[in-house]
Amino acid sequence: MRPVAFAARSLRREFRHGELATLAAALVLAVAALTAVGTLASRVESAILASAAELLGGDLGVSARREALPESFSSEAGKLGLASSRSVEFSSVVFAGENSQFSEVRAVDAAFPLRGKLVVADGSGVQSVAHAPARGQVYADHAVLTTLGASVGSALQLGGHDLSIAGEIVSAPGSSVFQFAPTLIMNLEDAESSGLLGIGSRATYRVLVAGDAAAVERYAAWAGQNLPAMARLTTVAEAQANLRSAFERGENFLRLAALLAALLAGIAVALAAQRFARRKTEEVALLRCLGASRREIVLALSLELVLLALPACLLGAALGIGMQQVAFLFASQLLGGVAPALPLAPAASAFVVGLAVLFGFALPPLLRLRDVEPMRVFRRDLQTRLRRFDALYLLPLLVGGGLILLESGSSKLAGVLAGALAAVAVATLLLSLLLLKGLRASSRRLPGALRFGLANLSRRRALTLIQVGALALSLTALNLLAVVGPSLLDRWRADLPQDTPNYFALNLQPGQKAEFEQRLAALGASNLSLLPLAAGKLVAINGKPLRASDYAEDSRAGNWIEGEVRVSWSEQLPPSNRVTAGSWLATDPPTAELSVDRGWFELFRLELGDNMTLRVGDSEVTATVTSVREIDWDSFRVNFFMMLDPAHGDPLPHSLISSFHLPPGNAALATLSRSMPNLSLIDVNSILDRVRDIISRVSSAVTWVLGFSLAAGILVLLAALAATADERRFEIALLRTLGAHGRQLTAAVLGEFAALGLLAGAVAAAGAAGTGIALARNVFRMPDYWPPAPELAGMALASALVVMLAGLAGTRRIARTPPMRVLRYGS
Amino acid sequence: MTIEPAVVLSAEKLSKVVEGPDGRLTILEEVSLSVDRGASLAIVGASGSGKTTLLGLLAGLDRPSSGSVVLAGEDLGALDEEARARLRRRMVGFVFQSFHLLPALNAEENVMLPLELEGLDDARERAGSVLAAVGLGKRLHHYPHQLSGGEQQRVALARAFVHGPKLLFADEPTGNLDQRTGAAVSDLLFDLNREHQTTLVLVSHDLGLASRCARTLRLRDGRVVEGDQ
Repeated sequence: MRPVAFAARSLRREFRHGELATLAAALVLAVAALTAVGTLASRVESAILASAAELLGGDLGVSARREALPESFSSEAGKLGLASSRSVEFSSVVFAGENSQFSEVRAVDAAFPLRGKLVVADGSGVQSVAHAPARGQVYADHAVLTTLGASVGSALQLGGHDLSIAGEIVSAPGSSVFQFAPTLIMNLEDAESSGLLGIGSRATYRVLVAGDAAAVERYAAWAGQNLPAMARLTTVAEAQANLRSAFERGENFLRLAALLAALLAGIAVALAAQRFARRKTEEVALLRCLGASRREIVLALSLELVLLALPACLLGAALGIGMQQVAFLFASQLLGGVAPALPLAPAASAFVVGLAVLFGFALPPLLRLRDVEPMRVFRRDLQTRLRRFDALYLLPLLVGGGLILLESGSSKLAGVLAGALAAVAVATLLLSLLLLKGLRASSRRLPGALRFGLANLSRRRALTLIQVGALALSLTALNLLAVVGPSLLDRWRADLPQDTPNYFALNLQPGQKAEFEQRLAALGASNLSLLPLAAGKLVAINGKPLRASDYAEDSRAGNWIEGEVRVSWSEQLPPSNRVTAGSWLATDPPTAELSVDRGWFELFRLELGDNMTLRVGDSEVTATVTSVREIDWDSFRVNFFMMLDPAHGDPLPHSLISSFHLPPGNAALATLSRSMPNLSLIDVNSILDRVRDIISRVSSAVTWVLGFSLAAGILVLLAALAATADERRFEIALLRTLGAHGRQLTAAVLGEFAALGLLAGAVAAAGAAGTGIALARNVFRMPDYWPPAPELAGMALASALVVMLAGLAGTRRIARTPPMRVLRYGS
Repeated sequence: MTIEPAVVLSAEKLSKVVEGPDGRLTILEEVSLSVDRGASLAIVGASGSGKTTLLGLLAGLDRPSSGSVVLAGEDLGALDEEARARLRRRMVGFVFQSFHLLPALNAEENVMLPLELEGLDDARERAGSVLAAVGLGKRLHHYPHQLSGGEQQRVALARAFVHGPKLLFADEPTGNLDQRTGAAVSDLLFDLNREHQTTLVLVSHDLGLASRCARTLRLRDGRVVEGDQ
């Protein structure tokens, strides 16, 4: 026997005859779905990163506190063919006549920004794209101009220098949502010559680079090795802490959709392979009888799979690229016109995953054919000897698990999904066994045709279990795509409702509280929150003085130790905070109590009961950590890493900070600002709009990807159902021969498929609900999410109906075949 | 020049015992026989008498519980499953009651199977000429479901003889055919057997067909009640 030639001939013949068509179609569909979803996800991700780069002003940033970065950080970028820009940020008071304003100053070079646009308006409001202001000029934002009573064209003083205001900043890359002061942009050379950056200034020096992605990666590696102390790298993904979670959520949604598409494909391939293997049994018995050895059979079957898989995977990848191209044409306008290049890696990975899925799911049943007894040619009832433990069946489990881990890119997502699918599989198995037992007990009370249909389920016990399991798993995936995914997206969009705080007020003195509240109420402000704010320094933990070098592994800790920390206090747990360990602060405890953000808790390796010492002004307070909080940083509310109990917070020197919502463009706000000159008002409307815009773009793109996976999943499910209907052809022919009329056959088939569909549909709806809750809590950080029960219940019924109709459609075709043909030529 | 042994197939005290739901079940009990080269032997008996089990053991498709089989000078008990498969490929042809044609292959491809297993290059030509010899020269590209029962069994006969086996095992070759077609197929079987000088072992409960063999072995409840024993 020449295995390659034999396998090629077998493949050609069987394909021609439609034997392998289902398996090939499932594989093509699987790879196409994976390629399309993977490529689309990757392009959407690139577009998201591109818009994040616009926010940062470059593709990568290096920043250092207090000391300028060595010249090599610019020259290395040049060597790698990257554009680079230097800037310095510091705080300073600016003056215009009698007025003064504490501002964040950004001194930038001519190259700034490398990504995104700096838009300024002239005196008449005409907007234009700009780079660094010329020497002797500055750009100021609306808050600076309002407080100083200045306008474009007038002068201001900074660090003893006279500068003229050349434009009002409309939008600038790199502006942070919670930058607690108005912004000014000046020329870097002016800043360097002004003496503002002398020793002791609290400036942050930055180098931004941009260019080819591979070169940026090489630069990041080089910079990582040459980073001075107190310097850190900022990637686009982490550029904006408040936008990061929007990106992360978007990414997780895309990955989830791609993963579900892959799993659906795996199930389809597994079902098709099982069916193919069953059909091959007679052939293998005959070949063994005619003298083919086991080795030759295994070799020929494996080669046949390879010869099938290669062109199918190629075709699938090509189809997938074509499909995503169409989808991207529609989706790209949602991404703000950013059109990233077509990445080929997702198609290549889909190709490999397609091969892995085929071999993982198809090899075990096919390899078991090597044990077919040649005596089976005489006695069809001769079963292949079952081994007690067949290690081969670990293969699909390993492939499934590997797939989840590989595609999810996140251990949390992988863990939740793997756990949920395992739970669905176990629940289905147990409920199916229970159903079969119940059917046996009650079958006598059922009418004839229905009894026959339902008895079929018990007769083909193993097949029934496989089919219900596969159906339940695919329906769970479909429910996740059709109901849970979109409702999670809706929940995400609702994260920033219309009355989200769009103004912040800083530096409010405790004595002004009542007047401030009164005036805001008169303006019609809503969602007002007022919290005390004390700025101080972290001194010690458990009496041990804090040193940045103790936390060398994470420069953020060092930054907090060296820099200023803010602390607040409140009787009530603030909204968008959740206590995850310990209990919320007592109102008047004998010793000071402290509640800490979870990120901080981990960063400083704290434990409940630890003591932290803070210095605020001349006072020191040592407080015991009594609770850990999970904070929703995307809520646009004022939040604090540390909160003290009110009794120990109130005596500390402090101001008040407020957030509230007012319809944008309220002119009366300017009068409030003038009548309380110490008050700093920050308008976050434009940033709020930007975040809303990002959420809307990403969620629209995700809706596309979810819809695409859903369509692929439904096709896969229908193909699988058509295959199961085929199993019944012999019985139907026999029943027809024995005189069963159409109605009886329909009742039998409907009964059988209704039972399959109802069980699988119900388990899948419950499974999807549970998975949704677990995903919301652990992956998407939406602890209060609850899946929509009516939709899921509707899906359970619809699933049962679809399964019934698909089963009926499949068997109708068979029922029309003359029974003689089926009976004579077997199944 | 090698001299082939006169006896091409012999069995010595063959027994087959299986574990059934009601305990041990003896299907064959100490059956002995021998068949000379070019001879024909019919194994007859009622349903369940052990005919097919004996055929499977003689062809090396199954292992006996005790006793031995020597096929073409090789003791099957001393060969493992792979070696028995190689021996079958070289020496043995089969005809089955239910034809066992592969539905995905046409007549020509079904006949080519044993030749392809041997890796022969002229498989297609040889298959075509044998099919022509059985009167199906114009049905080469028909699939099993496009052929009548008699035609399917003629394809199966062509497949059984195409690689020139020394021994042919036939299990109820006319069992699925009407009397007239059955007679035509059995004529063809014996003609081909004569022409190829094949040794024939035939299992049937059709005494008319059995009587066309040189010798008859009758089984009842797994024991030989008439014939070699």
